[in-house]
Parts: sequence; structure tokens; C-alpha cells
Amino acid sequence: MNVAVTVNGTVYERDVEARKLLIHFLRDDLDLTGSHIGCDTGNCGACSVILDGTLVKSCMLLAVQANGSEVETVEGLADGEQLTALQQAFTDHHALQCGYCTPGMLMSATSLLRSNPSPSDEDIRKALQGNICRCTGYWNIFDAVKSVAR
Amino acid sequence: MTTIAPEKVEVGKSLLGESVPRKEDRRLTQGQGVFVDDIKRHGMGYLHFVRSPYAHAHITSIDVSKAEEIKGVYGTLTGEEVASLTDPFFQIASEPGGLIKDFSLAVGKVRFVGEAVVAVVAETRELARDASELVEVEYEPLPALVDARTALETDAPVLHDDAGGNLMWEGVYEWGDLDQAFAEADRVVKIDELHFHRFNSTPLECDGALVEYNRGTGQWTIHTNNQFPGFAAIMMGPAMRCGLDKLRFVTQDIGGGFGNKITSHPQLVTCCLLSRKLNRPIQWTEWRTDFHMSMSHGNERWFRDTEVAVKDDGTLLGFRTKALDDAGAWLRYEPLGGVIWAQVTPGMYRWRHIRVDFTQVATNKAPVSPNRGYSRMQHLWFTERVIDIVARELGLDPVDVRKRNYIRAEDMPYETPNGCIYDSGDYARMLDIALDLIGWDSMEEKRRDAESRGKRLGVGIGSTLDSGTNNFGQSRMINPELQFSGNNEVATVKLDIFGEIVVTLGTTPQGQGHETTASQVVAEILNCSLDDVHVRPGHDSYWNSHAGFSGTYASQFAVTGLSAVKGATEMLREEIKKLASVIFGGVPVEALELAEGGVRIKDNPEAFLPFMACGAIINANNAGLPEDLGVTLNCRYVYRPPFEVPDIERKFGNLTLTYAAQIHVAVIEVDPETGYYDIVDYAAVDDCGKRINPQIVEGQVMGATAHAIGAVMHETFEYDEDGNLLTPNFYDYHVPHALDMPPLHTGAIESPSPFTPLGTKGMGEGGGAGIHAVCAAVQDATGKIVTDSHNPYHRVWELMR
Amino acid sequence: MLLREVEYTKPSSIAEALTNLAANDGARALAGGQTLINVMKARAASPDVLVDLNGLEELKGIELAADGTLSIGPMTTYTELMDSAEARARPILGEVCSKIADVQVRNRGTIGGNICANDPTNHLPPLMAAIGAELTIIGKDGERTVPASDFFLGVYLTAVGQTELLTRITIPAGKHDGFAAVTLGVDGTCIVNAAASMNGSLRIAIGCVDAVPVLLEVESPDTVRAAVRAAGLRPPDDVHASSEYRAHLAEVLAERAARQAVAP
Repeated sequence: MNVAVTVNGTVYERDVEARKLLIHFLRDDLDLTGSHIGCDTGNCGACSVILDGTLVKSCMLLAVQANGSEVETVEGLADGEQLTALQQAFTDHHALQCGYCTPGMLMSATSLLRSNPSPSDEDIRKALQGNICRCTGYWNIFDAVKSVAR
Repeated sequence: MTTIAPEKVEVGKSLLGESVPRKEDRRLTQGQGVFVDDIKRHGMGYLHFVRSPYAHAHITSIDVSKAEEIKGVYGTLTGEEVASLTDPFFQIASEPGGLIKDFSLAVGKVRFVGEAVVAVVAETRELARDASELVEVEYEPLPALVDARTALETDAPVLHDDAGGNLMWEGVYEWGDLDQAFAEADRVVKIDELHFHRFNSTPLECDGALVEYNRGTGQWTIHTNNQFPGFAAIMMGPAMRCGLDKLRFVTQDIGGGFGNKITSHPQLVTCCLLSRKLNRPIQWTEWRTDFHMSMSHGNERWFRDTEVAVKDDGTLLGFRTKALDDAGAWLRYEPLGGVIWAQVTPGMYRWRHIRVDFTQVATNKAPVSPNRGYSRMQHLWFTERVIDIVARELGLDPVDVRKRNYIRAEDMPYETPNGCIYDSGDYARMLDIALDLIGWDSMEEKRRDAESRGKRLGVGIGSTLDSGTNNFGQSRMINPELQFSGNNEVATVKLDIFGEIVVTLGTTPQGQGHETTASQVVAEILNCSLDDVHVRPGHDSYWNSHAGFSGTYASQFAVTGLSAVKGATEMLREEIKKLASVIFGGVPVEALELAEGGVRIKDNPEAFLPFMACGAIINANNAGLPEDLGVTLNCRYVYRPPFEVPDIERKFGNLTLTYAAQIHVAVIEVDPETGYYDIVDYAAVDDCGKRINPQIVEGQVMGATAHAIGAVMHETFEYDEDGNLLTPNFYDYHVPHALDMPPLHTGAIESPSPFTPLGTKGMGEGGGAGIHAVCAAVQDATGKIVTDSHNPYHRVWELMR
Repeated sequence: MLLREVEYTKPSSIAEALTNLAANDGARALAGGQTLINVMKARAASPDVLVDLNGLEELKGIELAADGTLSIGPMTTYTELMDSAEARARPILGEVCSKIADVQVRNRGTIGGNICANDPTNHLPPLMAAIGAELTIIGKDGERTVPASDFFLGVYLTAVGQTELLTRITIPAGKHDGFAAVTLGVDGTCIVNAAASMNGSLRIAIGCVDAVPVLLEVESPDTVRAAVRAAGLRPPDDVHASSEYRAHLAEVLAERAARQAVAP
């Protein structure tokens, strides 16, 4: 099936099988390997992207379902060399170790801050509940997001 | 909640001990890390494994023809082919375990649900998966052995006929004088059975590889996330009948390891054979369910018939116990678990009379392999349980019992009953800090408050040791024929033609920040800026920057890796001075110093040779230099920790170089009606000697805490009686998420190691401190003795009935 | 992780959707996909055709009638329900939805999907049963309405046939509701859950203990436990809970939900 998906502002037209998951489309077809796969039951959130302004797990969407839609991935956050305040905050607060969950975390936190620029501690935890990390224990991630909140 | 903020380092201030921001983060926060599944090669074939649905069965036939007929399927590999193309993997064990024949695919028999039987390679991932369903494997099911406690009964199903039974290894460890200790005891506390459960650290990235075969040179390039390539090479080379130089390992970013990425060598062999057979690169992605079913479960261990000799005042004299270890279906890194625990035989305590009868058996479950805290965690959990159970039996305060028995700061360095040397530490002080952080003094008030809300409060302490930098000579206690001992790690530091400082390591970091801490050491010694130091990410055999034990495991980088970096950098520094001495017309080297990106005469700083000039001279402009100059500006250093081969007879000797420590305190509130509980407060104090980057150290403590909380409350690899894994994915195997984390207070002290070049100690595993602390808290809240390391709500409820 | 081959279609009307479903025995409706896609990844079920309902505006929207009745489109996501001013007329709905899975799942997962999946551990089937929801189904013979008490037929099985669609969930007016659960981790999968609603009588629905929610009518919160015991539950044994523990939790949680419902 033909799909046209805009990812980080660029339109990609491809022919894909209906069964192809959006995460595989991003990683394998479009070479956007920043979004990751950490599980096979939709639990870990490493594949989180923003679809038409909404945070979703791209492993539970077919690529064909994103036809005509706009997808934002981690690759679209920084502006050239300029990291976002959130990306910088992750470094400042040691909110990543292996970095595998980080793209998903950044998308979830970015989505939170767009709709809620002044989240409470509880808001932050709830917003990141769908993103598993095995390295940090999450505490530094909470700090990083809090530090960027208004 | 980091308690440590990153620092802008003042000019002239030492970089060691500064929480400098990590170099790795720039690429990782932009999704520009290179993890193994990100790598692509033209024409690569995707591999899917056909796996056994039975825990134990004969394979009566395999027919791959229907799969191979599908357009786009490139080929297959079966156990029969593997058995003809390779030799069985080397076994660490002596007999009987050493007699088992382990190949990269099941040969003749399957021994656990999920065991790889056939490999199918196709043009797309989906097609490989589809084609695998067309592979026809006929099985003749056999009874399954799932409970290790029955493994040695006469009618138990036998996994490996070659070994003549399910016994894989046994050994008796005894030190001190147990008869004396038990005679002197006022009481003998008996504990029937303690059980440490099966789980692992489930790194978010599963295993994987992309393997290419070069027909012309016979060399394989293995892009993988295996965290111990030194071990993988030693296992793969002989099996594949090729020299180790034919196996080039390349890693870059690895999504967590925690020990669980050490034993992927069977899958790597399959990939190598297929890349040669099919003449194309082979891509293997392990999915979460595959990982849970087949990779790296942590050792499951029972401690039975424990007897503890104690005095009425709580002084512990000694113990004896029978440890039964469930290795699963294959010995991939085992039976090393049978000796590794001995690095911490007495735990943190001063008892001198100890006997452990250790037995390891095979069962129809996934093979066990190192898991964060490997084997020491199980043993330390045991010692901590003993402390709390003894305290309870004697009606004593667990804090008092700990302090009465802790090895003291003034005893350090302390020789344990089996000859290990604890280098330094002050456990009592750490405990005080932890208790202060948790508000120990107001605990009774908190208990009453909880009660007023219908909850039961519980407080528990967990002490743990991170023994780091192994002496591989301990393997000879498992098998005297083994020719391993000592340890090593390599680093190279060079000044390139334009003055770039380039560092290579033999390690395979999975988030520990090696590029950053190595840069700190280099910049410190060369007195240059951090930004001038470029550490190549990851590991590559081609750099020739590795040795037999290279990898990242067992809490050792701060000792082995950083000491290698220190050594190489100091060599470079001396060479730079030597060169400058000549260039400056014979100024003595003592008169020179490195500063501001170059070398200069101390008393005449304007006589300055920038690094760029040094690099250019040696590399491109070296006519006229003295013949015996001996300067290459490309320095390779092998760090070798000072070890002797242990005394195999007495099982005595120093098994690890450093001993980091952590003490944790957990406060829980239990809903007595349901057994549901929350961790409402938590403190963790660590001591890993000199900390090069305190923020990175604290990050490791936090991660270990989260792993422990997950393990004690939720995570378990449990099997039904037919050998089916009941928690094969993240849906049923609950991993803690953001809402599950308690408030955390951290503290640290530094007791430098007298044995290491930088005073550092390896750390990172955290030895399950959280498991020990929460188990103790559950015991406190319920008033019942906790005998299992896994305490989900239903178990807590059962305890309180 | 890798699906079997499947055909995909995205109808733009209910009529078209029904035609798509009827055209193939193996056709299945795709709502939020937060359950179905995972089932397909595991290859536990592999529909031949996916009929994507995400283009059907008629299945979205929440209306609050003057008498307090709520009419909810089944393709309403959990997030949309939580954000809906109308849905606040029955606060338990948003409260329970906010505890389901996580943000990403709530942004795509749908009320209708949760109800029609009827996984025994789902939150909404017992809630719908307790509050007396009515489910409107459209098929080739037109529309019919089924009360929640008759809607849930078995594990993953409801009154909605393979060629039919749930079109509306009607919630009567009311505010005296309760919900209690013990979950795997905070806000995780339910080990046992219970919903209660006070509307003249006190109705309890217990989930996770049988193929479908177990419904009880009781006098008062004080008699709940006895009623649950009398129901003779024989819940499943699994790695998270023994049958005995589930039965015990059923008693405790049913009472807690009931007390929440009757609280002023």
C-alpha cells in the first residue's frame, strides 16, 4: 500500500505492507533509528513518537495508519546543533545512562510540557509512566523534566 | 532526584572527583547513538529462530524444505549442521558438568522452552518469521524437571546423558573451626530453607548482532552488543575451529547489559555460520519474549539446613548451609557462580567459621548467566537474612546486631576466612548515615501514624558488597584444570599528527560513561581540557586495545579500565617530555611540565611546544631525531591487578581486588487486608572509594536500587510444572515504572582503596541491597520470617494470615 | 513482534465498515489497536482483514442529555473521556480511565475497544456492568441495545458479532459509584478489580475472577463480603495470584468499592 507520512517536516512516500508496524517503518524504511524497540507487548515506550500532536507508542500502530499524518521523532527535536532545553537538562541531570529509553522519554516529556508547561511532580511521573528505564531508576529524569518546567 | 549537581570545573582544579557532564549524552539525546539493530548492510538477511515449545523432548525430525521454498528465504541452519561444522563449546566445569555437549543450536534434544532449534534467514524480518512457521520439527516429549530440589532424585528426568545425571558441579567450602564455633555458641539458630528467586535485569535493548563474513580473509566482523567479547572469543574460536583473530568484535552503544549480555556466544556462532553459508551479512534481533525465554536468567539458589552459631549478645560466630543452585539447561558461564560468591563469604560481618556445601544442578529452564550482583547477591541476601532472623530469634535490634558484627574500619584491610582482602570501608558509619537519612529516630512515630491509617509500617536494612576486579584464578576452584588467573584491561592513548589526543579502551560500556571518566583521567594527567580528549566509543578488536578479559562486567571499570588509561596516559606524558627535552636542546625532563595543550619549560613558560607540534614531528617530520629516542606518542598499557593464583586445596586466596559497599534502608507500608504494599521512603549510602565522577556513581546506585525494588516486589521468572515460563514478556513480568519509585535519599562516603592506582573501586552492581532491605522491611511489618527474596503482594498476604 | 500478512481498509461510514466486516469471516474491527496489535504481534490471533474504525466520526463524541444520561461514542479514547466536560457528569468514568495503562495507551485506546475486548482483567466491563450501562450494537438487521449485564459473554467474547459494531454506550445518570483494584505495580494490570454503584440498589461487579464480570446485588456495604463468599467464586490461579488470594481480594475490593459508592 502507498503511504505518505511527514516525519519531522519531511514527506516520505513509500510502498509498504499493511502489516508493517510504524516503528519498523521509521527504523527500517526511513533509517530513522532514533526511536527504539524494547519489548513486544506495547509496555516499554521506547518507540514513543508524537503523531498529529498526540503521544503514541509507534509499535502499536501500522505504518498505513500514519498515512497523511505528521510524525515527530527524537531526530526532530534539536534545531541543527542547538539542543532543546529538555535535551540539555537530561545531560545536566544525568538523566540517561545507556540512552536506549532516552528518545522515548524525551518525546513523552516534550508532549507533557507542550500541554502542561508547569507540571507537578505527580504530573511528571504520570506522564512518564509509559516509558521504562532500567538504568536510572527515573529519579534524575524527573529532575531533568522539572528543571525545564516553568 | 540527584543530590549531585554537575560542575563547571575551575581552571587548575582537579578533574578527578568532578561530576562533569557526559560526552556520550550529546549523541544519545538526539537519537544518534548506534545500537546494533541500527546497523544495516546491503543484502543482509534477517534471522528468526524456530524455538522449542517443549521443556524437554527428543527431536525426531526436522524438515526445512517448505520454508526454504519460499521466495525471499535465503536459507536455514539446523543443529545437525552445527554439530558437523563446530565442536561443542568449551566447558568451564570439571566432571560431571564438563561432559555436557553444548552447541549453538539444539542437537538431538531440546532442554528448555524457547531453546533455539533452527535458524531461518530471509529478505525481510516478517518473511523470516513467516517462513519459520513452515519449518516442521517433530518432537517426542519427555518429562520436565522444573524443581531443582528434585534434580538429584533417582527418578528425576536427566537433561544431559553425557553427564550421567543432573549434577553439574559440587564443592565443599569450609574455613575456620566449625565444631569449635558451635561448641562455643550459646544458641544455634536453625533456618530450614531460604530461597533466592530467578529473575534478571531485563536491559531495555535485547541482544543482537549483525555478522559479516569476509571470504577472502576468512574473518568475521561481529557487530554486537555482547558485553564481554574477551569471553565470547574464547568460547567461539575453538568451537568454530578458527583462530581468535578471525573474530572481530565491534560494539558502539549498548542499551544496558547488567551481565545479561555475556552469554550470547551461541547465537553469535549461528550468525557466523550462516553468514558464511549464505554469503551475506546476517542480522539477528532478539525480541523481548526471546530474551525472557532463553537468555541469562539470574542464579536461583536455595540455602537449606542453615545453622548459625551465635552468642546471646548477638555475636555471630559462624554458619553452615547447603546451597543448591539451579543453573537451568546449560552451563554458559556456570559453574563460576559456584565460586564467585566466595568473594564475599562473610558478607560485611566478622564471623570466622563458615561452611557452604555448594551443589549446582541442571533443570529444564533457561540457562543462567551473570546478572547484576552475580552470585554475590544471592550469598549476601543469605547473610542479611541470617542477621535479621537471628536478631528476631534473640529479640535483638537488627541495627545492634549489625553494628556488633560489622567488620570495622580499623580492621581494614581485612582478610576474610577464605583469604579475600576487603580493602577499605566503614560500614557502621554508612549505616548511621543511612539511618539518619531515613529519619530512624522518628520511626516509631511513623509506625503509629501508619497504624492510624490502617497500615502496618516496616523498616528494613540491607547491606551489600560490590566486590570488583576478579581474579580469574578462582575458576580453578571450580575446575583445577583451567588455565585462567588474574585479570587485565587495556587502553591506548596517542597524540595524533595534528595533536589530537585519541583514546581507545578494551571495554564495552552499556551506560557507565566510560568515554567521560576516561577523558577525566587523561585530561587530568596531560593537564589539558576535556574537550581535547577524544575517546573512541565502544569496542573494536581491530584497535588491538583489548586483552583476554576485556569487557564491561563485574564492577571493575574504575579500577581496570581507568588504571589502564592512567598507565597509558602517563607513558604518553613521559614520551612528550622526552621529545620536548630533545627539541628544547637537551633541557632535562624534570624541568618540563604539561600545560595548556602542550609542554613547556617550568621556569620559562614561553618555551612551549603544543601537542600539535609534538604529533607532527613524530609522525611526519622526524628526520634528525636521536636513534634511541624511544618515542612513538602511541602508548598502549595493560593494567594487571596484583593477584596470586589462589590455593585450590584450601579454597583460599584473594579473589577480588576491591570491595565497594552499599547500605540501604527501606520503609514500607502494608495494607494488611490485601498484602499490597508501597515503599514510602528509601535511603541508599554508597562507598566506592575515590569517585572520579560522583554523578555517574550515584546514577549507578539509583539504577541498582530500581532493579532491586523490581526484583523483590514484582519481577520473577517462574515456570509451571511443564516448564513453561509464566512471565515471558513485559506484560506479565512487571518492571517498575515512574509511578512505582519511592522517594530516595542518597549519601556517600569515600574510603579509597589502598590497592588501586587511583584509589578507586569498581562499583555499579549494587548486589541487590534493595532486595535485602525490602525483605527485612516485610519481615518487620508482618512480624513473620521472610524466607524468599521475592515478596509480591500475595506472598505478603500469605505471611500475615 | 512481527505480524502475519493482513489486508487493511479504512471505511468512511458505518455502512461501509459493516460491509467490510461481512465480506470476510476473518475481518476484524481495529479500534485503538492497543490490544489487537499486540495480539497480532504475538500471532495469538491473526485477522485476515483489519477494518480501521478511526475514520468514523459517527462513533466519536460524548453527549450529555438534560436528564443526565451520557451517550459515549465507542471510538472515544480514554484521554478524550478524561478531558471531556460532559463526562464529568459521571466522575467514576474519568477516574477509572485515568488508571488504565499509561498516557500513550490512553491517547489511542478506546472505551469501545476496552469493552469489546472483554479481557477479564480490563477495567471497563465490570464498571459498565455495575453502573448499568447500555450498549447499542448495529448489525445487518439494524440496531439493538443490550444491557451490560447481558453483554459480556465469555473471555474476549461479547454480544457484538463478527459482522457487527458497537455504536454507542449509554450511561444512566448517577454519581454514587466506586471502583477498587489491586494492580501489578501502581496503575498496572488488574489482579482483581471491583466496581460498585448505588442507584436504588447497590450493585457490585467483580472483574478478574471469572470469564465475565460477576454481578451481585447487595443490601449494604456491610453485607458485601458475605455475598461475595456466597457467590462461590473459583478464580484462576496464575503467577500473580493464587485462586484463594483472588477470592479474598474480591471480597475486600468489593466492599471497598461499595463503601466508596455509598459515601456522601
